[in-house]
Amino acid sequence: MRPENQLGPREVLSGTGRRSPAPTFRQHPENGRPAYHDMVDRVAVLERAAVLFSLPEGVLRALARRMRRVTVASGEMIVCQGDPGDTIFFIEEGRVRVVIEQPPSVVTVAVLTTGDIFGEGPWLLKRPQQASVYAQQDCTVLAIDRQSMQTVLGRDRTVFENLTRVAEHRFRTFADTTVQAAWGTLFKEATVVGVYSPKGGSGGTCISLNVVGSLARRYPGQVLLLDLDFPYTHAALLAGLVPTTCLARLAQVPSEAFEEALLSAILYHSGGPMILAGSLRPEEAEEVTPELVTRAIGILRKTFRYIIIDLGVTISDTTLALLDLTQHIVLVAAPELSAVKSAADAIDILLRLGTPQDRLSVVLNNRTMKPAVTRSAVERMLNRRVDIEVAFDYSRPDQAAVNGEILSITNPRSEIARGAEALAALLDTHHGREHPTGHVAGRSDMTTDVSGRA
Amino acid sequence: MPSAATAGVIERTRAAVRRSVVRGRLQAVAAGKSEVLAFDLDGEALDVAALVKDVTAGQRPGSLAHQRLAETFQRSGITDTVIDQLAAPEANRRIRSAQLAGALGMEQAVSWISALLSAKEPAVRDAAARALGSIGGSRSAEALLRAIRRDGARRTLLVELAHAAPDLFLETCLCTPRRIGVHAALAIAAGLRRRRAAVTPLLGLLASGSRRERAASCRALGWIKADIALPAVAAALADTDWRVRMSAIKALVRLGGDAYMQELESLRGDPNTQVRKTARFAIRRLLNATASPWEWAWR
Repeated sequence: MRPENQLGPREVLSGTGRRSPAPTFRQHPENGRPAYHDMVDRVAVLERAAVLFSLPEGVLRALARRMRRVTVASGEMIVCQGDPGDTIFFIEEGRVRVVIEQPPSVVTVAVLTTGDIFGEGPWLLKRPQQASVYAQQDCTVLAIDRQSMQTVLGRDRTVFENLTRVAEHRFRTFADTTVQAAWGTLFKEATVVGVYSPKGGSGGTCISLNVVGSLARRYPGQVLLLDLDFPYTHAALLAGLVPTTCLARLAQVPSEAFEEALLSAILYHSGGPMILAGSLRPEEAEEVTPELVTRAIGILRKTFRYIIIDLGVTISDTTLALLDLTQHIVLVAAPELSAVKSAADAIDILLRLGTPQDRLSVVLNNRTMKPAVTRSAVERMLNRRVDIEVAFDYSRPDQAAVNGEILSITNPRSEIARGAEALAALLDTHHGREHPTGHVAGRSDMTTDVSGRA
Repeated sequence: MPSAATAGVIERTRAAVRRSVVRGRLQAVAAGKSEVLAFDLDGEALDVAALVKDVTAGQRPGSLAHQRLAETFQRSGITDTVIDQLAAPEANRRIRSAQLAGALGMEQAVSWISALLSAKEPAVRDAAARALGSIGGSRSAEALLRAIRRDGARRTLLVELAHAAPDLFLETCLCTPRRIGVHAALAIAAGLRRRRAAVTPLLGLLASGSRRERAASCRALGWIKADIALPAVAAALADTDWRVRMSAIKALVRLGGDAYMQELESLRGDPNTQVRKTARFAIRRLLNATASPWEWAWR
């Protein structure tokens, strides 16, 4: 049995039904040095690129001589997402489409035309190709590889620095566009925030619960805490609630009844927040699969304004699926050597997974009066700023857990509540409905210190 | 007077100390703590290329450490010595220089290393091919292609071509009629590099190439796991040449062509023994039966 949507062997071999006839790629000249008029055209293309503006004509000519001119047929892939890359392409003629595949979505993030460049990311940022590039019409590109560029430019670091800046800016913009397009922030669906603490005992659950409390004060009934801190999920207990069912038990529910069952499993806290337990027993954690979580988030996004997910400590398949679903990740670390080391590793993983820098916030949670590692040392080890520091709150968090209270609701002046409030404000600034694109002036300066030392 | 055995031990120890000293200097340069290098390239038991590779292990070509090392070698005059020695009469010197040029990614040495691809000594040819693979870029890839056209598709040349070829190089060469003699090699290299952009040229080659080219493109499409190529690969099961049929079977397994089980079953009665054997293994593999890796070795 042959799949219906595929071409038959005869059609494929005869060439009918293929998107474009061969040859799909052509190089001019096929070998040897370019002719004079060809060189003039090449230099003209290089001169149009702003990053090469400062280069003298001799260097431009040397670059032009080493370039390959390639004609690409319409619809053909020039660069494939996820591949390594070592070449920069200058569009001489035609138009290309830059596409990011983030299942289940395929997002066109840019259309580039004559004079634009692409393909610079992998060798400047040391990452795989962020996006695929397809020729939207028959187009001609000039390709120059890393080795030729380095040989010609030698020690001239200015061009490389400019190119790196362009590549970084483009990476952030594309990642941002993908997240927004893939997760429908423009359609007023919930913002999904993952709270991840790479080391147990860092206070991840406490921060999650309190930030949910803070957000719920702003948006009562519109904020949900999904507790996936497996195997022991205690967020409901800490909030003084007793769950009778959980997400894991919904795995066997038929699809037609799933939405109703899911919404009825949510617990309502009198202060405003809502909580959905991931599992009630440790052995049920295995039932929470990436598919189940994706299905559940798909439904919950239409119902709430914020979904805060307590991701716990482990990185499982479910965690990875959730990282794809989140629009913002909050990393909670305690100022201890092992916790900070784990946090640095976690940040490295998250950035490799394609999380944009500005969608990742670091919370430093002081669990002792005098932490062994200072904030500056933590920032040095993490190689980035701490966004929010929560000061030591004595026994208040433990006491609140015993009483089943959420500090951000019952005691807004406590340090935990102040930290949670700052985090809620940060999330609101990034993802508030007033700023649907998430672009807020001056957000790069958004570092908050609630430790009382500021 | 120390005995011969003792002298050997002392000499080995001295060599180890020398290696350690040079490694330390290279590490300092790579870390940006030093800008001076001075050692004798001809020093016995001192494989500088291996030390450079050791120091830059885990870093991508063109990284900061690579650049610092290359600049310091250039400033210290060692780069010139390396290029000079690429034309040395002794094979050993040429091999060492090629290795070091490769480890340092010396693009300016490509034309001299290219000449070594036609050396009499096989070890020199291999070292030159590996160096070009490490350096990469279109000039290296062109040199390797010329060697493949001249000497045939040797394994080292193919692998290094796959390493060296920059983006869109293999694809454009596959579509260039003038390079018709090396299309099979290019197809294999594109497959080794898992170049998804090469799928359409490979399909074209499968449709209209020679026997070797059809077999090579089948294998490459399988390695790339290009689902779109499944019908074309399945059609190649009925090819007139047994090598193409065998390649198509192997590619079909990689592409997960369960839908073509009937065609595979019919190949169990193929006139060629190799094809029958491969079809048998393919069916077992597709039915999740265990097949040991050696059974899948290329012919």
